Amino acid sequence: MTDIAFLGDPAIKAQALSRLRSHIAAETFVIFPAWEDGKANVIGALVEADDKQAFASQYGYPIAFVTALEGIVNAFRFGPSSEGFVKALLERTPVGADLSRIVPHVLIALLERPDIVALTGQNTEVERWRLAIVALHQRTINGDEPDRKEWKAARMASISASDAVVDNTASHMASLIVEAAAWPATMRTVLHDTLGACGRLESHQIMNAIGWTEADESRVFKIREQAEADGRLAELSGLDRVLGLLDADDPDLARGFRERLEQFEKLGETYRAVGWQIVDLIERSPVPTSPPENVT
Amino acid sequence: MRNATEEDFDDIVMKNAKPVLVDFWAPWCAPCKALAPTLDDLAEEYADVMEIVKVDIEANPGLATRFGVRGIPLLMIVRDGAEQARTVGTISRSRLDAFVEGNVGADG
Repeated sequence: MTDIAFLGDPAIKAQALSRLRSHIAAETFVIFPAWEDGKANVIGALVEADDKQAFASQYGYPIAFVTALEGIVNAFRFGPSSEGFVKALLERTPVGADLSRIVPHVLIALLERPDIVALTGQNTEVERWRLAIVALHQRTINGDEPDRKEWKAARMASISASDAVVDNTASHMASLIVEAAAWPATMRTVLHDTLGACGRLESHQIMNAIGWTEADESRVFKIREQAEADGRLAELSGLDRVLGLLDADDPDLARGFRERLEQFEKLGETYRAVGWQIVDLIERSPVPTSPPENVT
Repeated sequence: MRNATEEDFDDIVMKNAKPVLVDFWAPWCAPCKALAPTLDDLAEEYADVMEIVKVDIEANPGLATRFGVRGIPLLMIVRDGAEQARTVGTISRSRLDAFVEGNVGADG
């Protein structure tokens, strides 16, 4: 049964929640690895294997969502917040809900984000294909699934449009979001790739806002590398050592690096927001009153 | 999707009537693992016009040497028994599709 939550069986939902709760109680719920030595992330906890296809098949979630799920959960970081998110996802998924429209809804929401539209709007062709790809996903939601040729034409045109954006990094990154979304929502990696492109734009904008450059990143790396060779501040470890080295060698760079660390803590907002949006959409998904036709 | 080894590579890839996308990978390579679902989708998309063949370079180091594989994931298109194009490293689904389309074409 495709994209029908918990295959319409309350016992399957109960099993999913039970498996998750037992891992949380045993403190074996982790971000990584998926399934190893009794430890399990969101995928491993529910299917007892590193197998996204099994997760989709056993619990009825769309494969494109399942493929993106680890990235979404990881954005909540290890501990109570990621555990809480996964619990909410399972608890708020109605048994038997038709989840087949979730991914196109999310892709449209990403493509219509005002900050992304502001960037795509700077190039006529990119904006044209953003609108075309939104329209293709909307047709899917309406039950009029575009054919393969239509998707391919839109995808190739959006890639050409991306390649033409060479004078503005942020605009180019926004165009990469558009081309990543140019696939049917049934394709495994469409949401994963689109979110990844959004995440890269988010990272670029944050670093841009604080004036942190690749040259700064490279200078930090070289100072750390030199210390590894000459043993400076070897009494410290990890981040403390890096900060100690920077304070001694280049206080301005140290200040910038601290700000970069602080900003990086905020990264992942796109993933977390999309995660909660998906939970909301799933909770509101229609539950068919008659058996679905798409039985496999 | 088939796996090829040093013993059967020529039969499976070089003598294949269809173009072949060869995926050089290794079990320890996380980006290779991340690429797997993309290749699964691509195999469906291009099923009529192209075959995808995987080569584990750890188990088949001779093939890595033969094709000068210095980084993975490495994707190579072989057509009519000759290498036509290659791309190394992580690549998005859309870009991979454009790479294949440009070198193989899916007839729409």
